Amino acid sequence: MKWHTQDIQLFLKERDYIDTVILPLYPVSFADDIQQTVAMTEFINLLSGQLEKQFKGRILMLPGMSYLKTISEEKRLADLIEWEKELISQNFKHIFYITSDSDWKTVEEQLDGGLIWMPSIPLDNMDDQYKLSILEDQVKQLLNVFVKKWQNND
Amino acid sequence: MSKNRVTRRQFLNYTLTGVGGFMAAGMLLPMVRFGVDPVLQQKGDSDFIATNQKISDLTTEPTRVDYSFEQQDGWYSSEETGTAWVYKDENDKVVALSPVCKHLGCTVNWNGDKANENHFYCPCHGGLYTKDGTNVPGTPPIAALDVFPTKEVDGFLHLGKAEPR
Repeated sequence: MKWHTQDIQLFLKERDYIDTVILPLYPVSFADDIQQTVAMTEFINLLSGQLEKQFKGRILMLPGMSYLKTISEEKRLADLIEWEKELISQNFKHIFYITSDSDWKTVEEQLDGGLIWMPSIPLDNMDDQYKLSILEDQVKQLLNVFVKKWQNND
Repeated sequence: MSKNRVTRRQFLNYTLTGVGGFMAAGMLLPMVRFGVDPVLQQKGDSDFIATNQKISDLTTEPTRVDYSFEQQDGWYSSEETGTAWVYKDENDKVVALSPVCKHLGCTVNWNGDKANENHFYCPCHGGLYTKDGTNVPGTPPIAALDVFPTKEVDGFLHLGKAEPR
């Protein structure tokens, strides 16, 4: 389900089936790494779109959390833990974060939800057809991650 | 020279009526056209989308065919992508199934589950469909997979709008 009014109507109706929530994490920076953060955000945005298509009926794809790279890591982690608390209180059984920002990798243990870190691939100069097949491959990889997690908990 | 020569008065009459008629028609025709426009409008579902799949390359094993099309969403038009599972049945007829699960809309995969060979499998809630797209009773989906109308143009597969059965 996307964060769209129509999808949310369905979500409210079929809530028992949708036990997984995904929160994309988008870094924003205006310093030297501006290009990198843009590429990361763009890549995760495209990937989460494809991922939502694959798992529409079981996941809720949140609009994503953008954060400034200038804010300290502790503060960012505290923010994410706030999100996590809210999501847990909403009875989601599986929580995932998806990002290209490796900063999160170092604080992974402090999160209850699963962190999916995908290195960003420069897609900007790519042919649409090629771009799509790369994203499809990535989604196929993630498919196993999700299916395993679901099977372990069922 | 013929006997019944056209008089100056007649000539002017004819010319004026002719020119006036054209002008009236020029004004009226667009109005009529506007009036009956909804009838003349082309139906969207007659649009077929071209894919890169050659018909001759298809086998009896369902293959994944991706296609892209322009989608209009209010003012915003975007490149959308879609997928179909396409194969040839026993009678060599092309069958194109929509990959959208009839339960809650996940994407189903051919042979996606090791325990259920030769079925379409939905990874979200374990929905199963047989090769012809019929839902297996006892699994969450309550209807068969949608079917795309297909067309062959210059050897390539064209897909219409998926229709429920």
